[in-house]
Amino acid sequence: MLEVSNLSKRFGALEVTKNVSMHLEKGERRVILGPNGAGKTTFFNQLVGEIIPDSGSIKVDGQEVIGWSVEKRARFGLSRSYQQNTLFDGLTIGESLGLAASVSTSKSMWFWKDALQENDVRAIVKDTAAQVDLDRYLNARVSDVSYGVRRQLEVGLALATQPRVLLMDEPTSGVGPEMIGAFHKLLGRLSRELTILIIEHDMDLAFDVADSMTVLNYGEVVFEGSPEEARESEMLQQIYLGTWEDA
Amino acid sequence: MFYQTSLRSFTLILFALGSIYAAFTAEYFGLEILTEILILAMVVLALDLVAGFGGMVSLCHGALAGVGAYSFAVLGTKFGLDPFISMLIAALVTGVISWIIGAVCSKTHGIYFIMATLAFGQMAYSFVFESSYLGGDNGMAGISRLDMSALGIDLFDARQFALLCLAVLIIAYLFSWRILTSGLGRSLVGLMHNEKRSRALGQNIVQIKAHVFALSGLILGIAGALSAQHIMFISPNLLAWTHSGEALVIVILGGLGTLIGPIIGAAAFVLLKHEISNYTDHWHLVVGAILIIVVMSGARGIYGEIENRLAQKRRKSLVASDVELNKDR
Amino acid sequence: MDLGFWILQLLNALQLSMLLFLLSVGLTVIFGLMHFVNLAHGALYAFGAYVAASVASAMGYWAGVLVAPFAVAVLGLVLYQFLIKRMRSSGPMAQVLVTFGLIFALLDITRIVWGDLALALDVPELLSGRIAIGSVEYPVYRFFVMAVGLTALVVLHLTLTKTQIGAMIRAGVDNDKMAACLGINVERLFFIVFCVGCALAGVAGAVAAPLLSVVPEMGLDILIPTLIVIVIGGLGSLKGAIAGSLIYGFVQTFGAVFAPQLASVMIYVLLAGVLVTRPSGLFPAKGG
Repeated sequence: MLEVSNLSKRFGALEVTKNVSMHLEKGERRVILGPNGAGKTTFFNQLVGEIIPDSGSIKVDGQEVIGWSVEKRARFGLSRSYQQNTLFDGLTIGESLGLAASVSTSKSMWFWKDALQENDVRAIVKDTAAQVDLDRYLNARVSDVSYGVRRQLEVGLALATQPRVLLMDEPTSGVGPEMIGAFHKLLGRLSRELTILIIEHDMDLAFDVADSMTVLNYGEVVFEGSPEEARESEMLQQIYLGTWEDA
Repeated sequence: MFYQTSLRSFTLILFALGSIYAAFTAEYFGLEILTEILILAMVVLALDLVAGFGGMVSLCHGALAGVGAYSFAVLGTKFGLDPFISMLIAALVTGVISWIIGAVCSKTHGIYFIMATLAFGQMAYSFVFESSYLGGDNGMAGISRLDMSALGIDLFDARQFALLCLAVLIIAYLFSWRILTSGLGRSLVGLMHNEKRSRALGQNIVQIKAHVFALSGLILGIAGALSAQHIMFISPNLLAWTHSGEALVIVILGGLGTLIGPIIGAAAFVLLKHEISNYTDHWHLVVGAILIIVVMSGARGIYGEIENRLAQKRRKSLVASDVELNKDR
Repeated sequence: MDLGFWILQLLNALQLSMLLFLLSVGLTVIFGLMHFVNLAHGALYAFGAYVAASVASAMGYWAGVLVAPFAVAVLGLVLYQFLIKRMRSSGPMAQVLVTFGLIFALLDITRIVWGDLALALDVPELLSGRIAIGSVEYPVYRFFVMAVGLTALVVLHLTLTKTQIGAMIRAGVDNDKMAACLGINVERLFFIVFCVGCALAGVAGAVAAPLLSVVPEMGLDILIPTLIVIVIGGLGSLKGAIAGSLIYGFVQTFGAVFAPQLASVMIYVLLAGVLVTRPSGLFPAKGG
């Protein structure tokens, strides 16, 4: 479903992505791990088209998307949630989800009818709100709700576009432990039609939800395998915890 | 998001009734002022559409109305076309040019966007000023008004012309209402709040901005054509950037992003200007001072402030009743 | 068209460029440093011209030219304390509106104080007459204008590159928050830069007065060219100001020779082109 081949990017002398390749099957849940500065978010930015890689290919469902704009990829089904909340602060949660849904139902450019009132759009808003536990907040203003609820909306927006591939950048960043449990449940509710790639720092959550894991360090893939293999790997322990020599 | 609230409808009806009353009680000079207000209201309505709901603060809206005026005048006086057809074509021409400007400027933001529109407006002004075909500095005369004699209406009568302008203004408002509550309008407001996220959701930013700018341009074209018919003479001065500046001032004084606010603002501005001019030659100073005070105080304009206060009162009472309900839990 | 004609055009272009430079350099550094767009800058230039004309009628040209920048700087000081300082963190639209209101207000204040008729300021004895360059005779005064502009360019360049305050200004333009963290009193820097910018506008007005008629609208007339200069040249930099001024001066002057109908449109086409392809201008202070 998602095929990344030899993706490379450098900023001047700094190589932020070194020959990264990745293959995801449909419905797979892949967690991307790596220390800070490993280039995980930069990798995501290249997948969605906010940064243009120097070389390599990205194929979604067999379609090469390099050269496509951010919006074209999003319409094709490659959706992404941000590490920093990137929301519609002046709108309500329902309106925000409605906007996302209106794109996926191709009603976002309609000149005559109100996309937010259309039945299919409202259905998607309702379903997505249920998935991310925002039912109670549909009429609330984004600026009025708590950080945790905004984080849920952050994921909700990406989901409401009915994607094929969902990229989640540290979805639990900044939220408390109860919310992490909620996210775990949320991920469990998501359909296996959806292929998911998650950047995560919370190890418990990562090991719980992952079918497979990729670890990035200094821009390159240093490990790829199952969660069990990751647990055993000495190299990973070194990367995260360092060795006596580094101290 | 835009919603036509009962307050907005009430204000619009009040404005319409007030205009009708004025049309039937005013003398010639009063009718001239009324028509001036109504045509200006169309221009600021079109501006609020893109600025208040799309975040596109345009300083070329006056010039675009001028493009509509000149298109109408040329089609009528140089090509001998029927005024009605000329109006439609003028609206279309202005719409197309507006689409191009909207598309070209779609990647600029903030002060750069404002200056880009200023540049385009000045381009049009310079072009018209230098063009001998368009009469250059001398302008164009001999412009005729619509012929509605088939309906028994004589538009050369000031009162009937004013009422026509009111009717067109109402239609323009309903048109804008329709746009803002459509899929396109919702997308526009979304991208005003967060362009980056809109793009990430799959929205085509260039198209949204260009389409809405074009629709705004249609209104401007009609307003320009009516303006030409009103005075039956046009000059390059119509396209001076100061008119676009004034339009922006009026939108702010009335209430940015309320659609009806700028219309009220237009009435207030024109009436204020004429009132002050009766007492002093220095109405610029008064308007300038008012503008500075309004903007610095963060006020939302005449109508905007009223709407905001009422909304806050309602929220407070909702919270209070919420507290009441929860008291017994 | 002989060599003399071209020399004449060249000199005219240079003179126009230098005048615009005096006006634009203040505005661009103010924008680059304070992110504040001051549409009333043209009104300050007009004020300078009026003060110069008034003072000169009593005490001669040189007194006028010396007093004008001070007067405008004082006006700038007042505006800064009561208006600009508060509007600095507002969005571009609010700044445009407030300074637009200021244009209106200053326009009428000028009318109230000095009336509607044009004032005149005569070229001083010392600078009257013409110099021969080849077959062309060019007014001494216009050379003087060029000299003033050039002097300003040199002084500003040296200040920005060789002095501490210049370094602080450049740092502030680059990253004002970081500069503040380094202990630079950015607020005071803004204030100084603003007043100097106003003084330069005053110099421009005083120096331009003998060439143009001193009328209330002169501020409005020069505003658009100034904005064009700083946007094309690039915001916040001296290099941008001089580049933009030269481009404008030459396009206008030679454009009028080659294609008079299109000359005025051309500069706007150029402006629109720059705004769309390189919104920060040709030589912005940062980024690009």
